[in-house]
Amino acid sequence: MKSISEQNHYEILETHPAATREEVERAYRLALATYTDDSLAGYSVFAEGDAAAIRERVEMAYRVLCDSRMRSEYDATLEIEPEEELPPAEPSAPLVPIENTFGESPVPLHKDEFTHLDDGTGDFDGERLKHFRIRCGMEIEDIARVTKISPTYLGFIEEERFADLPDSVYVRGFVAAYANCVGLEGKGVAASYMKRFDKGDEDRRKGRFFESR
Amino acid sequence: MGDRLNKLASKLLNGSGGSRRARLIPVGGGKGGVGKSFIVANLAASLARLGHRVVAVDGDLEGPNLHTCVGVPKPRASLADFVAQREEDLGKLILDTPIPNLQLIAATDGNLATPQPTQSRRVRLMRELRELDTDFVFFDLGAGTHAAVMDYFMIGDEGVIVIAPEPTSVENAYGFIRAAFYRRLRLAMASHDMRKIVTLAMDQRNDRGIRTPLELLREIQTLDPTEGTRFVETMRAFHPRLIINDVRTADDIKLGFSIQSVCRKFFGIEAEYLGYVNHDESARRSVRARRPLIDVYPRSDAAIYISRIARKLLANGAAGESQEGSM
Repeated sequence: MKSISEQNHYEILETHPAATREEVERAYRLALATYTDDSLAGYSVFAEGDAAAIRERVEMAYRVLCDSRMRSEYDATLEIEPEEELPPAEPSAPLVPIENTFGESPVPLHKDEFTHLDDGTGDFDGERLKHFRIRCGMEIEDIARVTKISPTYLGFIEEERFADLPDSVYVRGFVAAYANCVGLEGKGVAASYMKRFDKGDEDRRKGRFFESR
Repeated sequence: MGDRLNKLASKLLNGSGGSRRARLIPVGGGKGGVGKSFIVANLAASLARLGHRVVAVDGDLEGPNLHTCVGVPKPRASLADFVAQREEDLGKLILDTPIPNLQLIAATDGNLATPQPTQSRRVRLMRELRELDTDFVFFDLGAGTHAAVMDYFMIGDEGVIVIAPEPTSVENAYGFIRAAFYRRLRLAMASHDMRKIVTLAMDQRNDRGIRTPLELLREIQTLDPTEGTRFVETMRAFHPRLIINDVRTADDIKLGFSIQSVCRKFFGIEAEYLGYVNHDESARRSVRARRPLIDVYPRSDAAIYISRIARKLLANGAAGESQEGSM
């Protein structure tokens, strides 16, 4: 049980040393939202200055972890530490399934609790993408910031406004980037989405005849 | 898998399957009106639909309404009979509901003068709940952090806290988590002195300036390292589970993760975010129809989210079981 001042960058952001860039990004955004002075989750718990102190640590952690060079340098300094942190009093903690004496893999009680509700396989439409986004707690703007894709297009992808989207080559890339950003496997998701897009596109070409005034 | 086979074997040997203890899931939240009974009724109905035998127990003797949520308009028996010692066998108070596999113990018709059970009756109740012959027992706690409520919350390690995304509810939820944790902690401390310190810390204006469990831990660690270890164990074993109800925005969903983070950083408590249930007009309509949402609008958004939580409870239980087997 470490106090905030003893936590390393990963612990401060509540992520793990193997976290991807997106995971770090997500953790950072969550921390920012959580540790504003008047956040709904915190205001009744924080004493004067608590949130600011954490924010400072969060910013510091993020600055290091989002820069691959600084991060690897930092990781090198951490290398010895993790071993020292874990052992004390571990065996008697019954609810932490770290070891499983049977040969089976233990059920992962891990951070991404929500992913096993929807395993992320199968067909994808705009609605399902949106569900994943919301589950990650991300706004369209967050995805836009990471992927550098215009939020308008991202919105169109969710709403399946195929007619308003650019050429399919671009859309495929957009969807893949979006999917990666919400923790999905980009290529497969894009392939599935593009089936809908291509079909919609065809319908659109057919329909244009009636639309034109 | 080995232990599952054993279980099956013991089930077959015992005929009824009554040898398996029911999983007891108390559901609280501190604040009234956040949808505890709605969540209990629907989680229970979801599991019942999946083929599990479920008893939903209304523990709110002063404001019973679970019976309405599960579609039993006028319960003919009630927990009040047990409290008033008119009935000794809790099993006899179980009523059928319109939903197959789902049964109810209502809390209607309590004695207005003395609605709450005495201490010894409470203990008895908790024991009886554990022994009900069923797969799941959901225990809908009343509002507040009264000692009785906290005791009930502690009977299972699976306590669930329902939170609405609004300041009043979040504040009360923290109060609830704190009260539950301190109460459990006080029981865990072997030394009288340390117990006294915990009691002192429970007074939020204590003059030692102990504000959070983490600060209390530091205090205890310096005074008595052995008790400090016990403290850490208690902390590690305490996993309140959170459900955010009536979610409307991405921020509301994030709230669950934020509360989890605050619990971790400020209390040293590892809460588990079970899931959220989104705002859905059909939820209100189902309450008005006095039936579980799962039953009347099974395809509604909220119903789908609730059944996901139910499935997650099942998965977690399976994890817990294999662990019991391994010890």
